[in-house]
Amino acid sequence: MNNFIVKDLMVPLSEYATVQEGSTLFEAVLALEKIQEEFDREHAPYQHRAVLILNRNKKVIGKLSQLGVLRAILPQNERNQQIEDISRFGFSAGLTNSLREKNRLEEGILNDIYKKAVLMKVEDYMQTLSEGEYVDENTSLDTAIYQLVTGTHLSLIVTRRDEIIGLLRMSDVFAAVFHAMKSGELTE
Amino acid sequence: MQALEKLRDRIIQRVNINLRELGFDVTPYMHELTPIKQMVKFYAFYGITPHHPLNFQFTHSNLAGSYFLGRCRVTNSLLYKSDIRGDELKKEGSVFQFQQFEIPINRDEHIDIEDSFLIKTLVHNYSHDPETLEKFFIKDTISMHYANIHGSPSDGCFLGPFSTVDLTTMHDCVVGTFSYIQAGEISHIKVDPGTVWIRSSDKFNFLYRYEKNHLDNYINFTAGNRPKGPLFDFVEDRKKDFEQIFAMVNIDPPRSVPGSASLDRYAVIKPHTNISENVLVAQRAYLQNSWLGKGANAQENCYIINSRLEGFDITAHGGKIIEADLGKKVFVGFNSFLRGRPDARLTVGKESIIMPHTIIDISDPLTIPPNHIVWGLVRNKHDLETSSMPLSDFSAIEKKFSLGNMIFEGSGASFVSALQHRIEHILEANGAFFNGAENKGHAQKNQSISFNTIQPYPMGKLKGLYPSIIIQP
Repeated sequence: MNNFIVKDLMVPLSEYATVQEGSTLFEAVLALEKIQEEFDREHAPYQHRAVLILNRNKKVIGKLSQLGVLRAILPQNERNQQIEDISRFGFSAGLTNSLREKNRLEEGILNDIYKKAVLMKVEDYMQTLSEGEYVDENTSLDTAIYQLVTGTHLSLIVTRRDEIIGLLRMSDVFAAVFHAMKSGELTE
Repeated sequence: MQALEKLRDRIIQRVNINLRELGFDVTPYMHELTPIKQMVKFYAFYGITPHHPLNFQFTHSNLAGSYFLGRCRVTNSLLYKSDIRGDELKKEGSVFQFQQFEIPINRDEHIDIEDSFLIKTLVHNYSHDPETLEKFFIKDTISMHYANIHGSPSDGCFLGPFSTVDLTTMHDCVVGTFSYIQAGEISHIKVDPGTVWIRSSDKFNFLYRYEKNHLDNYINFTAGNRPKGPLFDFVEDRKKDFEQIFAMVNIDPPRSVPGSASLDRYAVIKPHTNISENVLVAQRAYLQNSWLGKGANAQENCYIINSRLEGFDITAHGGKIIEADLGKKVFVGFNSFLRGRPDARLTVGKESIIMPHTIIDISDPLTIPPNHIVWGLVRNKHDLETSSMPLSDFSAIEKKFSLGNMIFEGSGASFVSALQHRIEHILEANGAFFNGAENKGHAQKNQSISFNTIQPYPMGKLKGLYPSIIIQP
C-alpha cells in the first residue's frame, strides 16, 4: 500500500458521467446509465454511482449520487416533513417507519416519478463539494483513506493544481486494500 | 426611559448569544413588543401570608403590574404584568424523590429571575430538576404574552405567546406559539408553533402538532408584530375589566363566597356567578355568569363564561371555557380554549381529560362522553372522532398508536395514570378535599393574604426602574 498514490487508482474525469448545470434529474440518470453501459467491467469491477455536475466553464460544481436521486424523488410535502421531523422528539425508528408505511399507502412515493424527474434541476439536489473532498493526485493512498474515513465520503475529487482531473472512489480504494490483504496472506 | 431601554438591550444581547446556534434573533420581537411607556404606569404587588416563607429581593428591574408570592429574587429583568407565584416551592426539611434517590431539601427553594423579560407570563410550581432543587432559575430568557413557565427552570430561551413549558428544564431553546412541552429536559431545540409534546423517557411519548393554517385561524405571531387571532383578541377584549380591579385599593369580597373558598381580590367576577365550597379562584381569573361547584378551581388567566362546572373541575392556567357544561372532575389543561355558542353548547362528561392546549370551537352542539381524553383541534363531531378516545381505550395502548395528527408511543396505561395522578394532586394542593379541619390547600391558605404595592422611579435617570428592595420577615 505504501507505494500507491491517488492518481494510480483514480477514475479520469473523461470516463465519468457528467451533466451541465441546468440539466434535469432525468438527464442525469440517463447520463449515468450511458456511462455504465460503456464501462470496462473487465478492468474495473465497480460501476459508477454518481454524476458530476459541471458549470458553463466545465468546472465541477457538485455531485449527484444515487442516494441524492432517491432523496430527490421523495415527496416533499408537509406531512412527510412532519414524519421525518419526529425523531427530534425521541420516537423510535420503528414508529417512524410505521408512519412512513401508513403514509405510503395513502400517497405512494413513486407515483408520477417520470413527471417529477423531468421537472427537477440537478443543481437543486446535488451535493456541493466541501474542502475535505478534494485530494491532490500525488497524495499517498494511506492519507486519502484517512480523508475518506474521517469525512465519510464515498469518493474524493482528484486535483492537479487548480484543475479537477478525476475521482478517487471508495470502491476502488477498498479493492486495493482487499488485494493488499490477500497478497499479505500469501506472503505469510 | 434610557435605563429601561438599556436593560432591554442587555437582555436581547444575552438571549441572542444563547440562541445563536439556532439562528434565532429575538431583536425584532423585543423592539416592537416591549411596552416601555406602559412600564412606568403600573405598580407591582406582593402577597404576605403566614403559610409561605417570605423573601423578596428586587434589583435593577422593572416589575410593572406583576405579582409576587413566596421567595423570589429578580435581577436585571423586565417583568410586565407577570405572576411569579411561589406558593408551591419546596420547603426546607422536605425530601425530593427522583428515581431511586431521596434528596433532602436543605433550604427553602426560591425563584431566581435574572437578565430576563417576561410579559404577561405565569411562573408557578417548583423546580423539578434534581440538579437545582433549591433554586428555580429563569435566566437569559424571554417569554411572550400568556406563556406559562410551570416548574421549569430556563436558561437562554425564547417562549412564544400562549406557550407552556411544564416540569421541564430548558437550555437554549425556542418554544413556538401555543406549544406545550413536558419532556423532563430539553436543550438546543426549536419547537414549531402548535406542538403539544409530553414525554416520560422510559414510559411514553405523546405528540400532537397543529396544522399551521388551522392554528393561524386562532393565533399567529410573527417577528415585529403583536400576536394576532381570536385567542389573543378574546383576552385583550377583557383587559379593561382587569384594569378596573387593579385600579381599586380595596375591594369587598362578595358575601356569597363560602368560608372554605378563596376568591383572589385580583380576579374579575361578573354578575350571576356562583362559588361553592373549596373553590379556588386565582388572580387574573375571569368569571362571568357561571357556576363553580364544590372543589372546582380557576387558575391564573382562566376565563369561565356562561358555563357550569359541576365540581372538582380543574381549569389549569390559561384555560378558557365559554358556553359549556362540565361534569364532575373534568380537567381542562393549560391554555385550552373551549368555546361553545349560546345556541350550540359544549357538554363534557364527568372525569374527562381535555389535554393542554386543546381548542374546541363549535357552531353545533357537541357532547364529549364521560371518561374521554381529548386533544388537538375539535370543531365538530367529525374532528372529535380523530381527536378523542375513551380513557379505557387509551390505557389499552401497549406500544404505539396514531390517530389524526397525534402519535403516541409507549404505555397508554402509564400515560393515563400519570394524568389522573396529577389531577388528584392538583385538587389536593388546591384544597378541593378540605373537610373543615383537614386537607387544607391553596383555597384555604390563600384566604389570609395581604397585599403591598411597590412603584418605580417616576422621573429622572432611573425612570421606570424599581429601587432595589429586600423584603423579609
